[in-house]
Amino acid sequence: MYRFLSRTVCVTRNHSLCVYEGHVFSAKYDNVSRVLTGVGVNPLSTCSVRCCEKKDNAIPSNQDEATNVDTQAKITQLQEETEQVKATDRDSMQQHSNVKVEQFLSKSSQVNTDGAKSGKESLLDLLGAMKVQVTSKKRLKNLKPKQSLESASAAMESTSSMFQKATVQASAQSEALDPDLVAAASAAASTLPNRSEAESELLKQLRQRKLLTEAQKKGDVNNLGVLLADMKVGKRSGRQNAWPTNQIRFDDDGQGYVRDRGITSELANVQKRRNIFPAKRLNIFSQTTDEQGDESALAKPTLWDIEFANELSLLTNQKPRNGFEEMIQWTKEGKLWQYPINNEIGLEDEASVPFHEHVFLEKHLEDGFPRQGPVRHFMELVVTGLAKNPYLTVEQKKEHISWFRDYFHQKEEVLNEADVYLN
Amino acid sequence: MAAPCRHVGHHIQKNGRFLRININQLFACSFSESKEAIVIPRKKSWNKEAVLEALASTVQRDPTAYPYQFQDDSYLSPRTSIEFKLFSLSQESGRAAAKYFVNSNPKLFTKDFAEPHIPYLMPESVALRLEEVSQEALEERISLRKVSAAVEMYDQLLQSGTAVSMETTHKLLDLICLYCDRDPVQEGTPQTEDRRKPMGRQAMDFLKCTWKENNNAERIFNLLPERDARCYSALIRGMVKHGAYAKAFNLYEDLLNNRLSADVHIFNALISAVPDVRKKNNERWDLIAELLNQMNEQKVRPNLLTFNSVLKALRQCSFLAKTFSPQILNEMKALGIAPSLATYEHILTVFFYKSASSGPSNMAILQDVLMELEGTSFTCQDPNDVLFFATAMKLCLDNKDLELGYKVHSLVEVGENWRLLGDSYQQALYYGRFFNLLCLMEHIDVVLKWYSRIVPSLLYPNPQGMKNLLQALDTDSRLDLLPTIWKDIKSLGHDNKVDLVEELLSLMARDEHSAEVQESFAACALDVKSVFGERPKKEWSTSSLSHISILLLRANKLQKAWDMLQLFKDKNRVPSGALLSSFLTACRCSASPQRAVELVQLSAAFSLPTTPELAKRTLAEFELNDKQR
Repeated sequence: MYRFLSRTVCVTRNHSLCVYEGHVFSAKYDNVSRVLTGVGVNPLSTCSVRCCEKKDNAIPSNQDEATNVDTQAKITQLQEETEQVKATDRDSMQQHSNVKVEQFLSKSSQVNTDGAKSGKESLLDLLGAMKVQVTSKKRLKNLKPKQSLESASAAMESTSSMFQKATVQASAQSEALDPDLVAAASAAASTLPNRSEAESELLKQLRQRKLLTEAQKKGDVNNLGVLLADMKVGKRSGRQNAWPTNQIRFDDDGQGYVRDRGITSELANVQKRRNIFPAKRLNIFSQTTDEQGDESALAKPTLWDIEFANELSLLTNQKPRNGFEEMIQWTKEGKLWQYPINNEIGLEDEASVPFHEHVFLEKHLEDGFPRQGPVRHFMELVVTGLAKNPYLTVEQKKEHISWFRDYFHQKEEVLNEADVYLN
Repeated sequence: MAAPCRHVGHHIQKNGRFLRININQLFACSFSESKEAIVIPRKKSWNKEAVLEALASTVQRDPTAYPYQFQDDSYLSPRTSIEFKLFSLSQESGRAAAKYFVNSNPKLFTKDFAEPHIPYLMPESVALRLEEVSQEALEERISLRKVSAAVEMYDQLLQSGTAVSMETTHKLLDLICLYCDRDPVQEGTPQTEDRRKPMGRQAMDFLKCTWKENNNAERIFNLLPERDARCYSALIRGMVKHGAYAKAFNLYEDLLNNRLSADVHIFNALISAVPDVRKKNNERWDLIAELLNQMNEQKVRPNLLTFNSVLKALRQCSFLAKTFSPQILNEMKALGIAPSLATYEHILTVFFYKSASSGPSNMAILQDVLMELEGTSFTCQDPNDVLFFATAMKLCLDNKDLELGYKVHSLVEVGENWRLLGDSYQQALYYGRFFNLLCLMEHIDVVLKWYSRIVPSLLYPNPQGMKNLLQALDTDSRLDLLPTIWKDIKSLGHDNKVDLVEELLSLMARDEHSAEVQESFAACALDVKSVFGERPKKEWSTSSLSHISILLLRANKLQKAWDMLQLFKDKNRVPSGALLSSFLTACRCSASPQRAVELVQLSAAFSLPTTPELAKRTLAEFELNDKQR
């Protein structure tokens, strides 16, 4: 359970980060969506943590840990958010070189430094500030479409000033963030002034994220290690008590107690009863399931098998109880025509004949009949009629055609005299 | 990755339909979606009896009707178990005679009325057609199960130097071993014995003919240039079937020496033969375990019959059985072999074997077994399957456990399980036990409900069963039903069972009842009297005579009672004094002094010690004239 808990925490963390990373990509195109999803991540992770919390309700000592996890998650989330802020800074840096933006940047960096100064104690303040930032950004968004077009060319020129701001920001952040992060930020800052900043910035951000995740992961693992150690203590104490009573005590609804006892007593009864047949077995045969059974089923029944089946049928009571059962018996013995169960009853001979044999009969006119003229015309009509007749078998249809063939051959002279038999 | 892709694709499908961008992705998307959406239902295949089965399931059993097989013929309406047996036998033998006549005179039955043709209705060829010496002729003789003719043909083939294929040799050996080198009684030939109990008779047959030294099977087997496991299998099975157990084991050793591996049938046969080759329980179990281990070594998968024969052999290992039979059951479950009813029957017998102290623990076993089987429908897989229900009901009856009895019966009513009740004998055993259990434990109203349901459509109770019913009536004081029960006794043919009738009469005569009941009792008593009168051989006992007289007296049938007294005289029986005194009371009530005097005279004739007292009473209570005095 504890392992499961830690894993879920890890997974959710990773997941949220991945999602986050993905949105950093898209951040360039759509600020709003990023912000929204960035907000969306929080409920997700807190939710999962809450789930874990719920699962561990039964063990009281666990609750402390759970809250620990919760606060920890909050911290990490905050860290993420600060990252987000930074990212937005960069985006805005890239896209706008306006004074307004610079103002905004300075404001945000101020927020960051504020956050850094207050430290972890004033996390809530930071959160509030960020919310302010988000709203300000929303306001900004309206300006963006116009500005971005205007500033497309200006962006290149103002990179140097932008870089200055960025370093300021980085240094400001360096106070707030982990040493790893600081290193990453400085590295990113050092590469920024390059001309190929459009692509490289992406890479930087990616790299930064990666470092971030690693760092956070490490932190998580450490924290979880502590957490697990704590839990082990809790577990030991928990196991010393009888668990069912414990569980019942912490069951939310009062019904659980009665029901639980009912089930356990039932179980005890079953166990007591099962004692008559101990679970021991001979252990002679291994449990391999090979295909030998199928082979023997495929083999032809020997005289012994037939005789055995006969013996069994004689032993059991096979007398019919009513007229229908008697008819079933007769059908099985082959004394009775089988009762129709579909529309193809009595068509067993035709079952293998495909339908086109029935329908396309023109090929049978190819030899023995004239290619044109009244005889041909007549025969085509005959074939059409046959094609629509469902009551004759293919053999019968062929016979029918060949009868006409013979007939017209016999009458060939007469027809020739009348000049109607061509060919 | 796939999920975002799908989303993208879906998006494009929705919005980008007009743009026609990424048409490939669209196709991929729609394909994957359609794959999920359409579930092709499985084709339902009906067998040819499906319609009839559906119709048959609508028909309920009618407890007031005769069994269906007799409904055609008003002459065949069985009222007793003996008649039932006789009529079903005559029906069967009539069919067999007709079949024999058709098959032996095929020339007379050439007309084929059925269109389309029904091959079954045409005479079968039972005579040999191929006369020349060939493998085909041998095959024909084998398929017609003509043992001696087949052996003869085989010998002729060998003499002429024709090689016989291995397959045909296998068939020939199977045939000879199955019938122990004897021509089987051909089906359809006229027989003097009955055919409805083929199992018992066949078993007798097989017991009669024992495996002989160097019979044709062994001779042919020894002549074979090469022998495979199938040949050994045929011989070993034949030997075990016909009682040559030690020989079978020798042959098995021979097979092992030839480095062949045996098949599952050989092991099944050998295991079932174990109790006959070993005398001590330990040795028996050791041999079984050894055989099972050898099976495993030779990679032979055991089947249901293997374990059933192990359990059957274990039944004769008394105390070891209780240890090992649960283990065997667990082994079966571990191997995924579903136990049949025979398996459970063996286990039940093992646990209840000679256990006079059948405590609650033993009933728990039955309860366990029934819980496991509850609601399952069985098919017959083992010849011993048909013994289960009768055995289980016997245990219920012995332990007087009504609840379990009902459970057993509800299991019988599941699906086609009623077929596993076995032949009419087994069925009578089962229902008889069930009915006795009901009479012992159940309230009389419920008993009568069951009585009307199973008697006589399923059960013809024996005299003991009827006695139990009478006792049940007595316990719950519903003696007023006795006359109807008497009618049933008469129709069941038990009216000649003296002790049963006496029990009935004594129950009727024991207490006084209301006038109506007495009236019906008297009518019943007269009926009994007339039945006895028809059978001059039957001896009247004193008690039954006096019971009838008392019943008649109570119903104020003085004249009839007087006749009974005459009967005492005729049969040289002596009426009791109490009877005569009550007679006298009746005389006084009807005010017939003449009769009272005659009574005294009669009493004097019997030289009863109560005569003077009777005379005194007569003098005191009646106004007699001189002559009478």
